[in-house]
Amino acid sequence: MRWRWAVVALLVAAAAELAVGRGVDWPHLDPLEQRILIELRLPRLTTALLAGAGLGAAGLLLQAVLRNPLAAPELTGVNPGAVLGVLAGMQLGLVPADSAAGALLAALTGGACGGALMWLLARHGSPVEVAAYGLLGSAALAGVTTLLLAYQPSRFGNALRWLVGSVDGRVWAHVQTAWPWLATALVLAWLCSAALGVLAAGDGHAAALGVPPRPTRAVALALAVALAAGAVALAGTLAFVGLVVPHVARAMCGSDLRRALPAAALVGATAVAGADALAQVLTVLVQSGPAAQRLGVPAGAVTALVGAVALVVVARRSSHVEVS
Amino acid sequence: MTQPVFVAEEVRYRYRDQPVLDGVSLVVRPGECVALVGRNGCGKSTLLRLLAGLDRPERGRVLLHGRPAHAMRRRDVARQVAVLHQQLPPMPGMTVRQLVAQGRYPHRGPLGMLWRPDDAESSGALHAAGVAGLAGRRVDTLSGGERQRVRLALALAQQTPVLLLDEPTTFLDVRHQLEVLSLVRRLHGERGLTVVAVLHELDHAARFTDRVVALAGGRVAADGPPAEVVTPSLLAEVFGVRGRVVTDAHTGAVRALADSPLETT
Repeated sequence: MRWRWAVVALLVAAAAELAVGRGVDWPHLDPLEQRILIELRLPRLTTALLAGAGLGAAGLLLQAVLRNPLAAPELTGVNPGAVLGVLAGMQLGLVPADSAAGALLAALTGGACGGALMWLLARHGSPVEVAAYGLLGSAALAGVTTLLLAYQPSRFGNALRWLVGSVDGRVWAHVQTAWPWLATALVLAWLCSAALGVLAAGDGHAAALGVPPRPTRAVALALAVALAAGAVALAGTLAFVGLVVPHVARAMCGSDLRRALPAAALVGATAVAGADALAQVLTVLVQSGPAAQRLGVPAGAVTALVGAVALVVVARRSSHVEVS
Repeated sequence: MTQPVFVAEEVRYRYRDQPVLDGVSLVVRPGECVALVGRNGCGKSTLLRLLAGLDRPERGRVLLHGRPAHAMRRRDVARQVAVLHQQLPPMPGMTVRQLVAQGRYPHRGPLGMLWRPDDAESSGALHAAGVAGLAGRRVDTLSGGERQRVRLALALAQQTPVLLLDEPTTFLDVRHQLEVLSLVRRLHGERGLTVVAVLHELDHAARFTDRVVALAGGRVAADGPPAEVVTPSLLAEVFGVRGRVVTDAHTGAVRALADSPLETT
């Protein structure tokens, strides 16, 4: 029953994402409007779905195998590292600004380094300590990113895509690079989900049941980095998606990862598609004013606002977030 | 002579530079029911972990069916040996049925667990441990006694020929203590399980097992049938109490009556 509602929500968000925005007057579409729909809005929607699914699933994997309800790609160094990787690659000229594969590679490198750094610093800490280290690490990496931008401020608008997160201007070329990567990582994560569920219950428990804790955790962390960095390369950091979505998924179908993992992907996709639809509505409102801006409202701004509120609601309602 | 299930040879183990086990040797044969007893912190639980291959001894070796236990593949060990841990980890949101179904992991593997999450074996284990009524409850809402029996169901779901129990009766009231120990004893008889149990109560050890191994000072202080091992001198040397040992006319088992703590020398 809850699954049915989740699918309905996804369809509503997707329909809204296709329907809103400039340049198309429903319901009678001329050929130009049809091209806008097929070559701009559909890839934009697909990008939102892929990025949301990747971040949601990555957050769930991290929370499960680190046994930390505050673990999220953005609080474990993965997302800030991936953003830094992409921007550094572009500012230093290592990655062509329009290369989707280059961005993916740079995001993976940065995300893996950022995640590894936080792992070395905070792995023995309590959940709250890990989150605190995560905030510090994110701030430090954001500082480095800002330094890089200061050298070429003309690219700031472009950098905002990754710093805040946006699916604006994503076309099929970007989707074609990203989807096989994200889909493979999602399927692999789901195939591991039974073993990860055993590991999530405790290292000693897992070892006694035949799941070797360390290699299994390493695989899960690698998959989480692959999913989060793949999403960041595509749509930037999209605050709170990787933190809040896993809690919604578990509230929906329990902590059994075999069901919670696909649920997190589904809810994440819904969240980002819905956030971008809202962002486009806001963009239209903002730009209808006298001083029309060139920048649209990025989806990441909406996820940050709505996500912060959602996190408060989840934290108050759910016992998952008890961090003792 | 059949091959022993466990062989521990001169096992040494330190925890934070404190020697816990200091030359323990033990042979457990198939179908034995053994109690490990001793004071708190005498290394009973450590020995159990070493037997299960969850830790490696610093010196000496632990063999499971003739092979070094800690070097075996975890799943191969888990098909042979089920461990009932002292505590259940806190698993927010997980139900009893889901947890006990995880006991099937060693036999089915990650993919098998995906296709069929529940099966007859885990349902049977829920019934055998008397927790079928709790199947839908969340593990983190259970009382101490309920958790204890869920631990047993988890170990039973593994359906291994060897059962290692770490204090299976803590948190249980008298009735549930007797139920759990009778169940283990019955499975031992019916299925020929090999059982090694860390037990707090000497009376339980004497009544429900055939062999008592007492640890003291990191070594095996006594090893034999309960009637031979449980003596006033064992109470004094291993547990540091003055006491008497009587034979229960009803059960035929010896009972230890501790009278007073001995002056520490």
